[in-house]
Amino acid sequence: MNLLMSDISLNITLKDDNKYVDLSKLKIANCVGCFGCWTKTPGKCVIRDDATKVYPLIAHSQKIIYVSRLYLGSYDITMKTMLERAIPTQKAFIRLHNGETHHYQRNVLEKDAVIIAYGDISEKEQKIFKKLVERNANNMCFKDWKIYFVKEQDVEKTVIAEVNKWEN
Amino acid sequence: MGKLMIVNGSPRAVKSNSKNYIEILKKNINKDIEEYNAISKKIDLFISKLNSCSDLLLVFPLYADGLPVTLMRFLKELENAKLTQKIKVHVLINCGFVEPEQNNVAVEMIKLFCKKNHFDFGSVLRIASGEAILKTPFAFIAKWNIKKLCKSIEKEKQVNIKCTMPISKKTFIKASTNYWIKYGQKNNITKEQMDTMKIEDI
Repeated sequence: MNLLMSDISLNITLKDDNKYVDLSKLKIANCVGCFGCWTKTPGKCVIRDDATKVYPLIAHSQKIIYVSRLYLGSYDITMKTMLERAIPTQKAFIRLHNGETHHYQRNVLEKDAVIIAYGDISEKEQKIFKKLVERNANNMCFKDWKIYFVKEQDVEKTVIAEVNKWEN
Repeated sequence: MGKLMIVNGSPRAVKSNSKNYIEILKKNINKDIEEYNAISKKIDLFISKLNSCSDLLLVFPLYADGLPVTLMRFLKELENAKLTQKIKVHVLINCGFVEPEQNNVAVEMIKLFCKKNHFDFGSVLRIASGEAILKTPFAFIAKWNIKKLCKSIEKEKQVNIKCTMPISKKTFIKASTNYWIKYGQKNNITKEQMDTMKIEDI
């Protein structure tokens, strides 16, 4: 399964068992840092909103495309909220990974990631975001990743081009 | 010299490690203080208090390698605020890993915020092993570094410092494993249950 997850609505239909998650249509509260998903109900978030349907999709995808506006070189709030809520995919326990301490993953597939970052993005912001995605790769099981920085009006055609690569 | 405004950027606010670091800081700083929890959403009250301050200290945890959403929301509101004086922004960030460098990207984000919004950027303290360090014999290291941060704010001398537990990564992993097992036990959850590979039963 492959996953397209976006913070804006896209006019796109996916084939096969590929999934499209439009975060702008979902109700997702922010992570409250309670550690419930590690120490009370391991693997499940204690906040039972739409995020609980999304993080299993993230975990079980082989290829992902994330589409997000940027803010300060970070995913903007909509996408960042979902990514913070995805920590039930990790365990509390820590391991050595690529020479650094990181959490163990649960049943999370290694994946190829494409990040389509949009907005009016300065060079400095691009630089910070590249570092962020490189760090995320350790915690989100990215084996390979590619980042596009595009204007908002170019998001859809960039997405379509990337989705076509899944299907060819 | 104006007051220091301390903002707790943790979504856990009153129960957060950030709160514990703030308590240490308050005992050690020779400056009048205002406080604000980013989750409280009383931004107008915050701005009116901030206008009597010369310094703003953001205290927050690393979330998914970056700024917690709670803090991002707060920063967006601060961007729109009308401030009557120049303010210097300082950072006290903590992460649960043993490497303080894992906090670097989040610090870069705050620097960018300052640049975009014409705030001065001041001092930084990056604490690693921040989930547990205050409950260990190494708490003095965190406290000592917080005192250094206090001095730098008081004397207006910028520092960029970091601290962690002075132990090997292997020992840290062992200690953190025990820490989390005990955490689970308080909820009657075993190590095996915490170790499940299932995500939402799949």
